Amino acid sequence: MDQYIAWFLLLAPLAASVTILLRLYSPNGAIFASVGSASLCFLIALGIAWGGIVAPTPWMWISLPGSNESPGLEIEIGMIFDALSKGMLLIVTGVGLLVHIFSIGYMAQDPGRARFFGGLSIFMFSMTGIVVSTNLIEMFFFWEGVGLSSYLLIGFWFTKESAAAAANKAFVCNRLADFGFMIGILTYWILMGTVSVKPIDLSNSYHQNAVSLPRVVSILTPEEIAAHTGTAISVRHIGGVNLTSPLLLTIMVLGLFGGCVGKSAMFPFHVWLPDAMEGPTPVSALIHAATMVAAGVYMLCRVYPLLLLSTFGLEFIACIGCFTAIFAALIAVQQNDIKRILAYSTLSQLGYMVMAVGCGGPDAAMFHLTTHAFFKALLFLAAGSVIHALHEEQDIWKMGGLDKKIPLTYWTFLLGMLALIGCPPFSGFFSKDYILADAHAFHPAFYWVGVATAFLTAFYMTRLVVVAFLGSARSKAAEHPHESPLVMTIPLIILAVLSVGSGLWGFWSSDSGMKNFYHNWAINLFSDTDPIPNNGHFITVPEINTGIELGIPFAAVFFGALLSYYLYLDRTTDPLHIRLLARKFYVDELYQRRLVRGQQLLAGLLNWIDAWILDGLILRGGAYISVGFGEVFRLFQTGSLQTYAFIFTLGGVLLIYFTLFAH
Amino acid sequence: MNSFSPLIALLLIPLGAILFIIAKAPARMTALVASGLNLAISLLLLLDYPAAQGSYAWEMNFPWVNLQGLPPIRLHFGVDGISLPLVFLTAIVTAAAIAISPGNIRRSSEYYCYLLLMSLGAMGAFISLDIFFFYIFHEFALIPTFLLIGIWGAQNRQFASFQVTIYLMAGSLILLAGLVALIMTLPPEARTFDMIALQSYLNDHPIAVATQNLIFPLLLVGFGILVGLFPFHSWAPPGYASAPPAAAMLHAGILKKFAIYGMIRIAIPMVHDGFEAWLPVLLALLVGNFLYAGLITLAQKELPTMIGFSSIMHMGYLFLGVACWNTIGVSGAVVLMVAHGLSAALLFGLSGEITQRAGENRFAEMGGLAERAPTLAVLFSFASMAAMGVPGLANFAGEVMVFFGSYAAILPVLGPGYAIIAIYGTVLTAIFQLRAIKSIFYGLMPARYEPRAAVAATAGSEGTPAAPGMTDTSALAEHAPYVLLILASLVIGFMPFLLLHIVEPSVSLLPHLK
Amino acid sequence: MEITLNHYLAVAATLFVIGLMGVMMRRNLIIIYMSLEMMLQAANLTLVAFSRFNGHLDGQVFVFFVITVAAAEVAVGLALIVALFRLRQTTQVDNLTTLKF
Repeated sequence: MDQYIAWFLLLAPLAASVTILLRLYSPNGAIFASVGSASLCFLIALGIAWGGIVAPTPWMWISLPGSNESPGLEIEIGMIFDALSKGMLLIVTGVGLLVHIFSIGYMAQDPGRARFFGGLSIFMFSMTGIVVSTNLIEMFFFWEGVGLSSYLLIGFWFTKESAAAAANKAFVCNRLADFGFMIGILTYWILMGTVSVKPIDLSNSYHQNAVSLPRVVSILTPEEIAAHTGTAISVRHIGGVNLTSPLLLTIMVLGLFGGCVGKSAMFPFHVWLPDAMEGPTPVSALIHAATMVAAGVYMLCRVYPLLLLSTFGLEFIACIGCFTAIFAALIAVQQNDIKRILAYSTLSQLGYMVMAVGCGGPDAAMFHLTTHAFFKALLFLAAGSVIHALHEEQDIWKMGGLDKKIPLTYWTFLLGMLALIGCPPFSGFFSKDYILADAHAFHPAFYWVGVATAFLTAFYMTRLVVVAFLGSARSKAAEHPHESPLVMTIPLIILAVLSVGSGLWGFWSSDSGMKNFYHNWAINLFSDTDPIPNNGHFITVPEINTGIELGIPFAAVFFGALLSYYLYLDRTTDPLHIRLLARKFYVDELYQRRLVRGQQLLAGLLNWIDAWILDGLILRGGAYISVGFGEVFRLFQTGSLQTYAFIFTLGGVLLIYFTLFAH
Repeated sequence: MNSFSPLIALLLIPLGAILFIIAKAPARMTALVASGLNLAISLLLLLDYPAAQGSYAWEMNFPWVNLQGLPPIRLHFGVDGISLPLVFLTAIVTAAAIAISPGNIRRSSEYYCYLLLMSLGAMGAFISLDIFFFYIFHEFALIPTFLLIGIWGAQNRQFASFQVTIYLMAGSLILLAGLVALIMTLPPEARTFDMIALQSYLNDHPIAVATQNLIFPLLLVGFGILVGLFPFHSWAPPGYASAPPAAAMLHAGILKKFAIYGMIRIAIPMVHDGFEAWLPVLLALLVGNFLYAGLITLAQKELPTMIGFSSIMHMGYLFLGVACWNTIGVSGAVVLMVAHGLSAALLFGLSGEITQRAGENRFAEMGGLAERAPTLAVLFSFASMAAMGVPGLANFAGEVMVFFGSYAAILPVLGPGYAIIAIYGTVLTAIFQLRAIKSIFYGLMPARYEPRAAVAATAGSEGTPAAPGMTDTSALAEHAPYVLLILASLVIGFMPFLLLHIVEPSVSLLPHLK
Repeated sequence: MEITLNHYLAVAATLFVIGLMGVMMRRNLIIIYMSLEMMLQAANLTLVAFSRFNGHLDGQVFVFFVITVAAAEVAVGLALIVALFRLRQTTQVDNLTTLKF
């Protein structure tokens, strides 16, 4: 019996979503089913974390034999409960449950709320699936599932043209990135002969040759890999391409990273995330801030040992993460929509996490992922509460003076904001600091960009709070807001407590607390088969944070916040006008003009060729040639029976002549 | 061996139904019952198939005609793990196609007879183990196709019916030339129409490579035309756009699979050296299917032609899976044949439904229909998701196997490159399918789809003749066929092993597998 | 004078040519039809003659078949002509050119 309980983690939300979408319930029944399934998930996740619920027997999804030229294909649907998935599972189901509860209040007036909760349940099903996946295809299965639920929920208000367009954009961007992910998976399979990642088995000597951190020193040669990976992989060639070449390893790493680039909206695929804010705010909180977009980071951590196989890949990951962090932070400075500011801040924070993975700190990335899930969900839900209070007003310049009128929302938002900018002793401070320390150990350049991002983060978040909450009301709606009901504020309070406390927990101890939890996980990644005591060879272990490295980020945050406070207090319009930032570096325009229109143009051209050259000239041309022959030959058809008889006779006579007399 | 097998019932039931309809039985009811019976039988066969060996089951083998100078033609039926899923596909798509057909269509008894005949032809081709019958049954199905498009088609139906028929007949002729050449190259005593005997003979005595190099292109072009391999595809989009939905479902869903089935059964295993030699050409052509047809699909402005082109594009996956010629790829192609059959049938059926209800098939003129027709929107979204290869639906399982198969296959010129192009195909599919959903169902609804009263109210004058309001599929009977297809796709999508444990043993028995 | 095979063949050839001329020159379907029959009889005559002079019966047997088939053909042909006449009120071939494209 025990082993079946875990299946309900997937089955409960699946059953809820299916029954809701089949319209078996009234709207309130749908809410009950959806929230019920989310609570059940959370309870099971607690049971798993506690250790009482064990992983079920996997279920063979596809099993095909290989040959001497290709490995077999074994794909199972199973569950893996290790430290990584346990932690992530708690975040997903916990934040998920809170968002479900918040949505009861937020969506109470919407006629389509049953559909909304159905979409949320699909999301819970797919997201928990990603977390517990034992192999990459299973993960891809659910990966597309979260993409689907995200598509459905972004386009929830489908009569709005912009929402429909945003939904399409999100799905297509993700598809494009998943294209890379799939290539990564395929390459992994051809190299390792399996798609399973539980655990990724790199035997001892193999990872002695793997990239050693914090300083990247060695690259694997094909012979080394071939010699060290034993039976699972042998050197094979495809069309003269050595399968174990460093090039192929790099393709694998970059391909896998491709999945992360799409789901976690790294540059240059970041464009879908801000547009995704067209969805209802709880969706933005759960899917587009706390959990789904973090799935990319989670996936990178899951396959972290593989990333070590390519120096270039690892450095590339760090660079993209770092660039996205500062790029998005710059854009956020000039945005005016409360949700869009938070969206760009999400991009920026995701950039931090990805950078951490690239710098050899998957533990730091997971730590930040966790704290970020709490405070960003909090910020979005609080923003939702503000929007709700102001009757769908999202422009921060039309708010103002809200601190007194909706104090609970204000204070929770403020706590979330302090956590986000990394103000001690809130949770974001610890996790961000951990990342910066890793980055410093990897290469100081990443550290300095990280510090600059922290400065910008403090700047734009302070701007947001000052403009939206302080000062005086700048619109009618802002004059008479009403505080949200308890069902919405209680999740805010819980998240606020988590945002504050999750970093502090275990700070003084060396073996408890979240940071150590993830650090132990990361260290243990390699200890299974390693005879040499693992001393953090493959995980960056930063120096004790003291002195200047700790002080500089703090100073950056402090001055950023201070500057912003004095710049924006009591303003009615934005004193800064940076067109480049306000227009988001013109990336959208560039894509629209170059890529989308280019592809459309090419499509039109090919369509023309198909219709006029292939079908018209060649095919119908051929048909017209037949018609032409027909036109000529029909001249013989005079319609006179006698002529036919005459020709017939003539033919007969000629035939006889040739057969009898021609020789 | 020489006893009657249940397979013959699959042919006799529709035949009997046709006789009943000719004898004035209610056409729709009779056709429904017959197709339902066939579906039940094929399901039973699917469950009862002894999968472990992967050999032919329920064989029956009777002499039919003995002609001087020709090998004997025998009535030889049997199914294995490759054809059985296609038999099931035929049964389920036929049932759905008949169920979605309107009861009050003009000349209804003829209409249903032709549908049954079409399905009969496809079914016969899949269960025949004699090349003569394999070919004749398919030819036979083309006649009702011609009539269905010509009589009940939509715009431009006469042109379309002639183009489709002439094109396909030309393809069949080339195929016939290839098949005749294949049999006639053998020494007289070895000539046979029997696939099993022919295969085993060819295994031991392969034809000279030079001859194979001549025969294979005939088979490739013949099968290629029938399935719409680039550049022989241009019959399909206008043909499907004009065909009545049920006929398009049957043709795109089932009949087209005949050609892929023929590739798996005859062209590649029997003329294998020729296949190896022509592989680069085949690969180049299927890239055409992915990129050329895929991009053209993007440019379509009408729903039926878009779906027509998309079904051409998806043939690329099937060809790729077959071209890998390893267990993974070919199994994937078989699963994908079933999956694509279901999704194509869904899309063509629903596109007909939408066109008929909305009185419009241009994207630019539609919009916001989800408000008036939420069920239709859900069904169409499901169909699109299936076509896009979203996990959970059958296409994903098949496509993944094809990706893996092609990635592992040693193909000339960078094998994985083709997998990459194929995966890019899924991106293109997502773009055009989502665009279709968006422009049909999302956004604001043109006023003409409001019910009469509402339009009159906004117009302010009572007397204005308003267009009839757009209606949703309402009764269970109206969406049951689609739900049936979606369910089948979901079952395979979530549990592909149910199908694979039948398919895989038979596939691994194919000769020359890499 | 002894009647030889050549005499028979000459008669048959004359009959055949008369029939052929009739087919080619007359405009009335009934006449054309009768001319056709005449050509058929010319062929029959040849067969019988050969049979007689070659000394075995194959040709005569064959003639019976020809006569039987010809009778059937007459029945069908005349029926067609009658049907055609009912439809068009004419049996002149000049007026029957609707199939000309």
